[in-house]
Amino acid sequence: MKNRLRVLRAERGWSQADLADRLEVSRQSVNAIETGKYDPSLPLAFRIARLFESSIEAIFTDAD
Amino acid sequence: MNCMQQNPATRRYLIRFVSTIAAYAVALLFAEWCIHRLHPTGALLYGLATLPAVPIIGVIVVVGLYLAEEKDEFQRNLLIQSMLWGLGAILSLTSVWGFLQLYAHVHPFQPFMAFPLFWCFQGIATAALRWRYR
Repeated sequence: MKNRLRVLRAERGWSQADLADRLEVSRQSVNAIETGKYDPSLPLAFRIARLFESSIEAIFTDAD
Repeated sequence: MNCMQQNPATRRYLIRFVSTIAAYAVALLFAEWCIHRLHPTGALLYGLATLPAVPIIGVIVVVGLYLAEEKDEFQRNLLIQSMLWGLGAILSLTSVWGFLQLYAHVHPFQPFMAFPLFWCFQGIATAALRWRYR
């Protein structure tokens, strides 16, 4: 699954560690999601969307 | 899991894990000493012989508690994946060894070795997965 996490994070000037702290996950988790190696669960995707005041569909897009 | 960031669940896991391993070392030394010095028989021998296995089973409980308490789903996923790789490797190894034992009469595999070998394979899988997700 592709996502705009890196762009959204950069817009706010946050490092991966900053975003990880805000989401209460490890930095490695943020990196895995950003690079598309790991797809977050629906609850985590909602947390990410809430943090960026956006919708899940606006952040994550189906690769197909 | 030694590379993990120190969140509360990881800290609790490490404390429990180290305590259980320490209990294993004490139980093993105690059982060894009692069996070789006191030469017990019957139920006492059975009890002493199985004593070191109790903390080993405890390690499984400790891992289960970690999986229940870890809030970071990616870290949980990583541990589950590495344990599945470890499980696959130890089941493969014991299956191959079993047939070698049956038909080629190789040295018998000691069942208690399955546990440490499983963790060796799990450790290798953890390192590989962390490299993949680095």
